[in-house]
Amino acid sequence: MAHCERASRPLIQCLQKSSTRGVPSLQLQSTRAFQTTSLVREEAQTEAKSQPFYKNPDPTLVSSPRLERRLMRQGILPVGSRRRRAALQGSANLPFEQLPYQCFQEARKVLHADREEKLKEITATGEKIARIQALPEDERSKNSTLSRLRALEVHLETLKIHADINDPIVKKKFEDGEGDMSKPIYRYLADQKWREYRRKILVQRITQMKVIPDVLPHCDPVLDTKLYFGRKPVPPGEFVSAALSSNPPKLDVQMFEGGEKLVTIAVVDSDVPNVEADSFDFKTHYLAVNIPISATNTKVDLGQLSADSQVVLPWLPPVAQKGSPYHRLSVFILEQKDARPLDFAAVKARETDRDNTLLRTLQARYHLKPIGANLFRSIWDETTLEVMKQIGFPEADMELRRKRVEPLPYKRRNPSTFR
Amino acid sequence: MPTLSMSPVLVSLANVFKIPVSQTTLRPTIALLNQPAKSKPSPPRTQEAKATFSTTRPLLKRKAATPVDKRVTLIRYFLHHPLTPRPLRFSRNRYLRHWTIHRAWQLHQANRRRANQLELQRQWQAMNAACEELRTGAGDGGKLFRKSMIKTGVFRDMFPIEYGRLQTEGPGEGWNHEWTRPEVRR
Repeated sequence: MAHCERASRPLIQCLQKSSTRGVPSLQLQSTRAFQTTSLVREEAQTEAKSQPFYKNPDPTLVSSPRLERRLMRQGILPVGSRRRRAALQGSANLPFEQLPYQCFQEARKVLHADREEKLKEITATGEKIARIQALPEDERSKNSTLSRLRALEVHLETLKIHADINDPIVKKKFEDGEGDMSKPIYRYLADQKWREYRRKILVQRITQMKVIPDVLPHCDPVLDTKLYFGRKPVPPGEFVSAALSSNPPKLDVQMFEGGEKLVTIAVVDSDVPNVEADSFDFKTHYLAVNIPISATNTKVDLGQLSADSQVVLPWLPPVAQKGSPYHRLSVFILEQKDARPLDFAAVKARETDRDNTLLRTLQARYHLKPIGANLFRSIWDETTLEVMKQIGFPEADMELRRKRVEPLPYKRRNPSTFR
Repeated sequence: MPTLSMSPVLVSLANVFKIPVSQTTLRPTIALLNQPAKSKPSPPRTQEAKATFSTTRPLLKRKAATPVDKRVTLIRYFLHHPLTPRPLRFSRNRYLRHWTIHRAWQLHQANRRRANQLELQRQWQAMNAACEELRTGAGDGGKLFRKSMIKTGVFRDMFPIEYGRLQTEGPGEGWNHEWTRPEVRR
């Protein structure tokens, strides 16, 4: 008998005399004192009688090493730990909401009553909104009515969240990553979680590395943007080798609001060394417009976007010349105004110059609003030369050096001034 | 010394039950917790002592041991003290049940607070309306209202017994029900 079985035996005996399926030593004392189990359990037992447990072991309940081994030979892995499985043998396996704890059930009643109240309030607010929207046109376009409508809509959103926020099942599902992003409560929870850590890191990186005043004057990220090169996730500000970044990255853009948005995605290098002017230039490595995103449609593969309706400037692999300081490549996601598509042909005809287009200019020209950002860096490494040759980089074999500052000639000081 | 060989659990228990163990150390001393490396017997020390005729280790001689912040020491002391209860560890389902109950309790309290606030608001408004009625509807041009609002000499001689004690929801212990207001001599 396994250790865990021995440990859980008194527990099983206390809880239920009836369940003796997996524990062989308990099968003898199957005198049923009290029957407290549910009917489902009963059916399962009668079913089991037709075929003994050791012939057909259940991977969620098996706890003896011999049966486990047999299951694993069949290619079925037992579920959870042996201790857990042994404990489950003696439990009624009730669903979480029906667990017979008095305080818990009372708490669920309180929460349920509150939820009913909130649902009633939601319908009332919806009716109010419908009434305002049914008003005649001149009445509806008044400022007071508009502000009231807006306030009601915000109230409705908060009510929708408050109706579900106390549900333990919702919390459990969200923690398991099974949340349905089309529902406002899961979006709210995901937003909270993102703002707790990942957004802080992102904002710190883009401000400490001065992307924010350099590339764009201001950005308040409201989208969770994850960057992948190949299948490798890249945390914001990480160095990416040239070979890896020669293929366009994939983005996972998680929106936390309902509805759909059209966005423009731009990748800008803000550290191209300009030797003549002794300064740095910008270079646009990628530009695509009219990309639809929503809370459920999050994956954007920059290499897979359509070339004749979205990609204005295709991906140019970033390379850093030897000796140049690291290049910051910032990925910006800019919302198009009122979710209206831009005229692709006009944009394509106008934005052909990678070197002399600033993202600030684009922002002003097309009324874009930055809502998401990400960042990676590239520096000279051993794979850079190959990538440079592939893309035909003009000065591939050139190394940048700091200008040596000549020391001033030695001058003997006049000893008389020292006195 | 016998106290040094005793376990800290025994020492602290002795301290709790006021059993005199020795005059020097009743609790595990901070100094012991602070420098665990020092108390460890180290074999190279004897070799060093042979090589140079000094009992201090060379590293100790060069610079003093890095001082540990007193707050860190205290946190460590109380965290690892045997009388400190272990942290609460729940299984997943139990934590969720705990969370559910917690949320329900918070909600209940919030509702109670809100009801209390609304009741206070209602009372205040009722009082306000009554005063307004007295001012406008009594037919004496508001004289009665003005008279009733005069506060001169209210708390000059004595002040209400209610203010002699912290105000609570119900009557507290030690309330003197036989007390009556003494005759005011004018």
